[in-house]
Formats: sequence, C-alpha cells, structure tokens
Amino acid sequence: MAGKGHAALWPGVAALAIATAYVVALLAAEKQSLIIILLAIGIVAVLAAAWFGLLENVSASFTDHEDSLAICAVAAACVVGAIFHDNHFVLLLVITVLLYSVATLGLNIQFGYAGVLNFAGASFFGIGAYTSAVLNTHTALPHLLVLLIGGVLAALAGSLLLLPVLRTRGHYAAVVTIAFALLFKTFLEVNDVLGGPQGMQVKGMRILGWSFNDNIDIGRVSLSFYMNYFVLSLLLLVATFVLVRRLERSWIGLNLDALRLDETAASCFGLDIVRWKITAFLIGNFFIGTAGALFGMVGGFVAPNNYTFADSLILVSILLLGGIGNPWGLLVATIIVVVVPEKLQTIQEYRFLLYALMVIAVLLFRPEGLLPRPVRRYFPGWRP
Amino acid sequence: MSKTPKFAALGIAALILGAAAVSADAKDKVKVGFIGPLTGGVSVNGIGGRNSADLAVRLRNADAKSKYEYEMVVLDDECKPNVAVQVATKMAADKDIIAGATHYCSATAIATVDTYHKFGFPVIVWGAVLPDITYRNKYDEIHRVNGTMINQNDANADLISKLGYKTVAVIHDTTDYGKGHNEYFSKALAKIGKAKIVGTFGVTADQQDFTAELTKIKALNPDVIYFGGLTPIGVRIRSQMDKLGIKALFDGTSGIVSDAYIQGLGPLAEGSLAFREGAPTEKLPGGKFFMEKYNAQKYDNPPEAYGAFAYAAMNMILDTIEKVGPDRKKVIADLANVKDRDSIVGKITFDDHGQNTVAVITKYVVQDGKFVEWDDSEYASGKRKLPGQK
Amino acid sequence: MDAGLFAQYVMNGLMLGMMYALVAVGFTLFFGVLDVIKFSHGDVLTVGAFTALATYIGLHTLGLNSNWLNLVVMLVLATLAMALLGMAIARYLVMPLRSAPALNTLLITLMLGTVLRECVRLFYPQGANPKPFPALLPRTSFDFGDFNLRVDNVLMLAAGVLVIVGIQYLLNRTKLGLAIRAVAQDEETARTMGINFTAIVLVTFALGSGLAAFAGVMNGLYYNEINFGIGLYLGVVGFAAAIIGGLGSIYGAILGGFLFAGLQTIGTVMLPFASAYKDVFAFAVVIAIMAWRPTGLIREKISERV
Repeated sequence: MAGKGHAALWPGVAALAIATAYVVALLAAEKQSLIIILLAIGIVAVLAAAWFGLLENVSASFTDHEDSLAICAVAAACVVGAIFHDNHFVLLLVITVLLYSVATLGLNIQFGYAGVLNFAGASFFGIGAYTSAVLNTHTALPHLLVLLIGGVLAALAGSLLLLPVLRTRGHYAAVVTIAFALLFKTFLEVNDVLGGPQGMQVKGMRILGWSFNDNIDIGRVSLSFYMNYFVLSLLLLVATFVLVRRLERSWIGLNLDALRLDETAASCFGLDIVRWKITAFLIGNFFIGTAGALFGMVGGFVAPNNYTFADSLILVSILLLGGIGNPWGLLVATIIVVVVPEKLQTIQEYRFLLYALMVIAVLLFRPEGLLPRPVRRYFPGWRP
Repeated sequence: MSKTPKFAALGIAALILGAAAVSADAKDKVKVGFIGPLTGGVSVNGIGGRNSADLAVRLRNADAKSKYEYEMVVLDDECKPNVAVQVATKMAADKDIIAGATHYCSATAIATVDTYHKFGFPVIVWGAVLPDITYRNKYDEIHRVNGTMINQNDANADLISKLGYKTVAVIHDTTDYGKGHNEYFSKALAKIGKAKIVGTFGVTADQQDFTAELTKIKALNPDVIYFGGLTPIGVRIRSQMDKLGIKALFDGTSGIVSDAYIQGLGPLAEGSLAFREGAPTEKLPGGKFFMEKYNAQKYDNPPEAYGAFAYAAMNMILDTIEKVGPDRKKVIADLANVKDRDSIVGKITFDDHGQNTVAVITKYVVQDGKFVEWDDSEYASGKRKLPGQK
Repeated sequence: MDAGLFAQYVMNGLMLGMMYALVAVGFTLFFGVLDVIKFSHGDVLTVGAFTALATYIGLHTLGLNSNWLNLVVMLVLATLAMALLGMAIARYLVMPLRSAPALNTLLITLMLGTVLRECVRLFYPQGANPKPFPALLPRTSFDFGDFNLRVDNVLMLAAGVLVIVGIQYLLNRTKLGLAIRAVAQDEETARTMGINFTAIVLVTFALGSGLAAFAGVMNGLYYNEINFGIGLYLGVVGFAAAIIGGLGSIYGAILGGFLFAGLQTIGTVMLPFASAYKDVFAFAVVIAIMAWRPTGLIREKISERV
C-alpha cells in the first residue's frame, strides 16, 4: 500500500455500514438458530475479506480518514440507538458495550501505551460504581459530579498500589493487581457498611430534575428510559476516545511508548519513568472509575460479584482480542465480548465453554489481536 | 468429541418439536419465563427447578383443553445478584413474556425485586427463602410459593432446645442468605433461652478450607454447630469437622436439603439436621403425581428439594394465564386474590405481600443416606442417638 | 492459647502450605524453562483429582478393594494423565505463542483453565456437585489435649516432603535436571550445547502437571471432597505464592506456599475482626511484600540484560 498516496474513503464507510447492519441484525435476532447462523456468517465474512485482502483497504482508509470515519461511527451508534429506541434490553446491552469500551480505553492507556499491567480493572470499575451507590443514596451531590468523583476515587485507590506497581515488573507486577482484585472482592463481601455480598441499590441519575429512569414519551413515540443513559454513555465514550487519541498522538503518548518499549533506554534519554507510569496508571483508573460510576447508575444495582478477578480478566481479554494499543480494535472486541455470550444465552450451560474456546482460537490464529495497532505516524499521510 | 452427536440430537429434537408445533391446531403462542442458577456451585438445584417448571409447561401443552401453546424462556442467574439483575431486566423488558417463576438464591431474588416492579412483570419466587424478598416492599408483582426462613429457624431453635443442647457455634456464609439465617436463628434461640450461642463465624461462599475457623470452634467446644449456607460449603465444613475430631451435632438449614449433600459426604452425612418449609415432596398432596410425571420425562437431574415449588409456581402462572389471558396487568390482578388454591405443594394463599403462608416446616435428619423426616426417624424414637444427645 | 490448640493450628497451616507449595513449584518450573505463567495449572489439578476419582470408581467396580493398591494406581494414572495433558498444553498452546507477548500466554492458559473447569462440570457425571473422595489412608488419630493428630495427615505431609525432595534431587543431581536448569538459564546457549529444547520444555511441563495431579489427589484425600472449582482458587494462591517467594528458585515457591498458609491461619486466629477478613489480610500482606521485595523474597540472581 505504501507510496500510493491517500487511500479512498469509501472502503472505511462501507465496512462501517456493513458492520452496523450486522450488529443491528445480531441484536435484533431472537431465535437461537438465526443467531448461530449470523455468527457463522460473520466469521466467514471476516475470513473471506481477509483472504481477498479487503481488510487492508479498510484499515488504510481508517488511517487516512480517521476523523470523518469517527463521525460516521458516532452516526452509526445513533442509528443503532434509534432502531432499538423502545427495546430496553438491547439498549442496556449497547450501553454496556459503550461503558466497557470506556473502561478498556483506560486499561489501554495503562497497558497499551505505558506497559503497566492492570489485572484489577473490574475492581476500579467497582470503586466507581460503589461511589455512585453511596453518594446517590446519602448525599445530594449533582449526579454528573458523582461520575467525576467515582473516577477520582478509583484513581486514588489505585495510588495505594503505586509503590508496588512501580517497583515490580512483568509477572511480579501482575501479582500485585491480581492480589488487589481478590482483596477488593473479599473486602466488599465481608464488610457490612457497603452492603456485603448482598450489594446495594443505586438510585438512577437525575440531572436538573430530569429523571433518567422514566420512559420518554414524545407524542405517540415512546422511548425506553435507557435512551437517556445511551446518550450520556455515548457522549462519555466519544469524549474518552478523543482524549485517548489526542494523548496517544501527543508527546505524552510518545513518552509512554518509549518507556513501554525499553525502560532503560527511555531513562537514558532523560525520561522520568516514575512520573509517566504514575500518570498513565492514574489517568487509566480515572476513566475506568468514571465508566463504573455511570454503569452503577444504569444497572441500578452493585454487588461484589460484579467486580471479581474473572471480570477483570474479561476486560484484559477485550484488550488482547482487539489488538493492544488500538482504540478501534477495542471497540470491535468489546462488541464481541459483551454481545456474543449474551446472545448465546439459550446455549446456557455451554456458553462459558464456547466463549473460552473462541478466545483460545483467536489467540492461536491471530496472536496480535483482531486489529493490531498500526505503526505510529509522525506526520499526517506519512507511512513508514 | 461427544458434543457433536449431542448437538445433532438437539437439532433433530428441535426439528421434531417444530414440526409438532406446526401440525398442532394453531393455538396462540404465549411465552413464560424461568430464572434459576444453571451454572455455579448450586446449579443442581437450579437445573432441578428448571426441569420441574419445564414439566409443568409440557404437561400443559400436552393438554388438549389448554387455550394457548406455551413456550418457556429460561435464563441463568448464576446465583449472582449482578447477573440476576441483568437477566431479570432482559426477561421483564421482553413484552412477549407474560410472567415468570424466578430464583432459587435469596441474593438474586432480593436484588431483582425492584427490576420486576419497575417493568410491571409478575413473578412467583420458587426457592429463595429470605423474608425481605416479599416483605421489604409491598410490590404487587412479587409472589412466593415457598415459605421464608423465619419459620424454619423457629423450628430449628425449638428442636435444638428440646433435645437439651446448651451451646451452639454458628457458621454462616456472608451472603444475605447466610446472614439472614444467622439473624433469625439467633433471635429464635434467644427467645427460647435454653441454649446460647458461643461464637459466630462468617465465611465466604466459595471458601475451601475451614480448618482455621473450626479449630477456633473446637476450642469453644459447642454441642452444636449451626450452619447457615448452601450445600457446597456445607459439605466441606461437615467433612472438615470430622478431620479435626469435632463431635458436635451438625445443624443445617434448607440450603443443604439436596441429594448433593448426601452424595458429597457419604456416611459422614449421617445425623445431620436440616429444616425446610413445606412437606417433603413425597408427602405433598400431589407429590406422587409429580414424581411419576417427572421420572417419565427422563431428565438428567432429580428435581431436588425445591423442584415441586418450581412446578407449583409455573403451574399457577399457567392457570392464571388460562383464566385471564396473556396480559401482565390482569395476571397481577388475579394473583392478588389467590386463596386456598390447590397445588401439588398443598393449598396456596398469598397474603397482602404475595407471600404464601406455609405453616408446615419439615424437620429432617440424615439417616442411612437419606433425608428422613425427624418424627419418623430412629433418632426421634430414641433408637439411635445424635452426637451429644442426652 | 494452650499448646494443643497451637499445635492444631500449626498442623492445619502445614497441610494447607504443603498444597500451596506443590502448586507453586509447578508455576516456578514452567516459568523457569519458558518464562511463561501457565494459569491453567490450578484446573489441571482439578482434572487430576477427578481422574483419580474416576479411577477409584473404576477399580471399585472391578472389585478391587485394597486401599493401598487403589491409591497407588490412582496416583500413577492421574499423574501420567496430567503429565500428558501438560505436554499437550505446552506443545499446542504455549510453545506456538512464544513470539507473542507474555500476556497472550497468560490469557490463553486462563481460557484453557476455563475450558477444563467447564468440561469437568458439564461432562463428568453430575460434575456440578461436590464429589466425595474416598478416604484411603488409615483414619486413626491420636488426641493430645486439644490437638487431634491424624495419621493420614502425617502420611500426606511426609509424601509431600518426599516429592519436593525428589524434585529437588532431580533438578540438582541428574542430567535431566542439569538440562532443565540450562534451558532455564539461557535457551540459546543450551541449544548450542546440544540440548533438545522442545523435549526439555515438554518434560518440564509433564513434571509440573504431574505435580498438580499429586496435589489434586492430596487435596481430595485431605478434604474428602472435590468439586470442579477447587483448582481456581488453588491456582491463584499457588501463583501468588510462587511470586512472593521469587520465581527464580524452587525454594521461593515452597517458602511462598507456607508463608501464605501461615498468613491465612494468623489472619483467622490473631486478628480482632471476623475471620472472613483473613484473605483480605493475606493478600494485603502479599501486596506489601511486593512493594518491599519487588522480585520476591528470594531474589532472582540474573541481572537484566539490556
């Protein structure tokens, strides 16, 4: 592809349109046989597209026209929202995808850019959710502020781990966050103040008297109350996405890349390793916590079982499936990881097994993830 | 792998069912729901409940007189509150599903009541025993065919005191289920005032090793160890008591009344006490009928302790839909007036909170590898002695 | 506290520590040869325990009722089967991912763990229920005041010590052990010295997985109950133990295993609040230890190559 100049815009738009149509079909499908056929079609289509080299056109189009395609993606999300405007459950699923995406973007800053492992993603997500549970019940703080506080508290709790995280590397660093994930869940379970294993109810969001938990009736059209959350989650995701993208392209992102690739070399060139690791870890946790705070209000319920080590692993597996460091890949992977097991509900007892086998297959045959991070571009239009 | 033929068989079964559905004269299709733990440590009970509810639907569909063709949507709450809220939302948000028989685990049932209320979805709880599920709020949507844990703990404390035991150590899991049991048992025991609690230990529901807690208990030397929790850790605690040479009586709750408890312990289960609301399945008015039909379907798993309740809950839903039609509001209105309704678990009467008032509590003791009713057992007649029994 | 009770706590802690240590040693072995964390280790233990149980039921139906003979056959079969499984995992899942980031290996083995666990649950008859595990060791016990000393516990501890000593001997005194250590230290040099790298990796995985089977049988004999979830927890604790001990040496794993068991026991006995907090306490100490000794209590001797 190199040297061909600008790639065309249409492959990206076409891919986006097809993907949106596919997701809508999958979300709308109810019959198990239909869902299985759809999934099979999806896998075959992607494999075939890869075989004929179509995917390269798409990814080239995405690198060259990222901004316009991002706008198209937001439009696509709005279309999905509009189609399912009165379907509570599908909207909830879509919101879950949006907020998990925000959380994995946070993880992406930590691991994808700075190389700091975090196996306690779900715990920080939980800190956010419990923050909104406690604050919405006991205080009259504006709920948008509660979201921010959730993020800040997650970052603060994360700072407890800073010392061991900074001092350790590789597998040793992994154990720090794994231990925290286990500790956090056990702590929530044994502690009565936060509801114990029973969990807590979370009051729904209310902004300037507008209650998010009421259905919206406009004339004869009735919108699901989840539409409120859908819009807010989409805004949150767009803001996070833009921030993460800016961060990646800025000199901060450059510093983070340098220290991930080779700490020793980076510090030889005068980079303050500790400072940048702390920055990445705290920013990442802030995003995770904010997403968690909103998710707590959406679900209306928090319990320790939402935030186990296994849930943290799901977040990490999204990161790996998507292709570490590539925000676009994350979005695709989140859709797969959240929607597929949910849609396979009727296979009930077998769905964990299938899900695990699927991840194994991806790791074996596409170890760099579905959409690997492209090489950094220093100038627009420049290709290595 | 053995999976392929299994799936193939499923496919064929689906085809046949589909063909049958087409050939039957076109009755309107109505969807009803079932939620229970189909995966995780207590999945046996969930699967037993699902099979029983499924049985109710199948029998109804086989009945030529029924007005509708029923389809049961089954969802798995994994015994986790968060998952339960998610699947409850899914079920309640689906307008085609009219009503549901829901939840074995108290933790999941209490978590979802607000969801059902929000969506106006009528449910009948088939296994969870926490009183709060029906009594914390006054929601018209929530009903329950089985009793609460209050009565069984009264009966439990009563029996312990009558048998002359003086000291009790309590182990409970830290879910609301275990905590609830601890609370109501402690209250009941204090009210009688003959035995006292010498120590209380909260343990996590997935703990494996209890030797440290049990050693502490050993130092307290209680006559009885009361256990408020479910089968998996009940099995572990009972067998580790033996390892440490603790001779105390093992006194369980409805959470251990399952075949899995006896299978898991073998001869060690002998002499364990347990309590459950309602009469034992085989002694229920429709117990024999239920077991016959259940066995005829050749399910993989037994119905377990709450299978009959799941059947009764689903049957009541089907009866109501037959009567008032597939409309949630009408179903709720009709369920508000359930009084002395015949069912396989006996007469069902819902109070103003939708709670069935089950007066009967069955006391069980494990004798020769079976849960035997206390009054029929050789322990009650004095032929055998419980540990430390005077 | 009186001496009898104290002895009882020590005994409980030792049994727990022995199981953690056996699991942790496996992690250290795998990490040694391939620099990978094989997270399915705990679930291999589960499968090992269930293999042993199935063997026992098979032998029982054949009419063999000698406890000792049955135990030996169970141990041999379970260990061999898990050794094979371990080799298969290494050959088809871990080795192909060598060029990918270390995290991928971790994830793929985690998912494999889920697959193994779910398979036991779904395909072992009534696998979702806890299963009784036969008590094959003599059940005699002696009471010393509050201390109940059981012969089977003593035998299991002794067997555990023997196995660990055996592994130690194998690693330090045999040619195979030399080869394993050589691969662990530097793969390229080992290859140029004529060591069959793949073979050594497979043998190490067989060894570690066999150990897991042994720990699984021991777990069954100790608790007389196994379920499909035992490996999940033991795996995580074993991993944490291997790490706090230091991945560089087998002693680290053993130290870590007993330390973690000790922390849990102390957490139950000494802490003023509810015993349920013992895991919070144990894991908090793990995090503190990592802050204090970032490469484990027994530090790795190799300095980082730049």
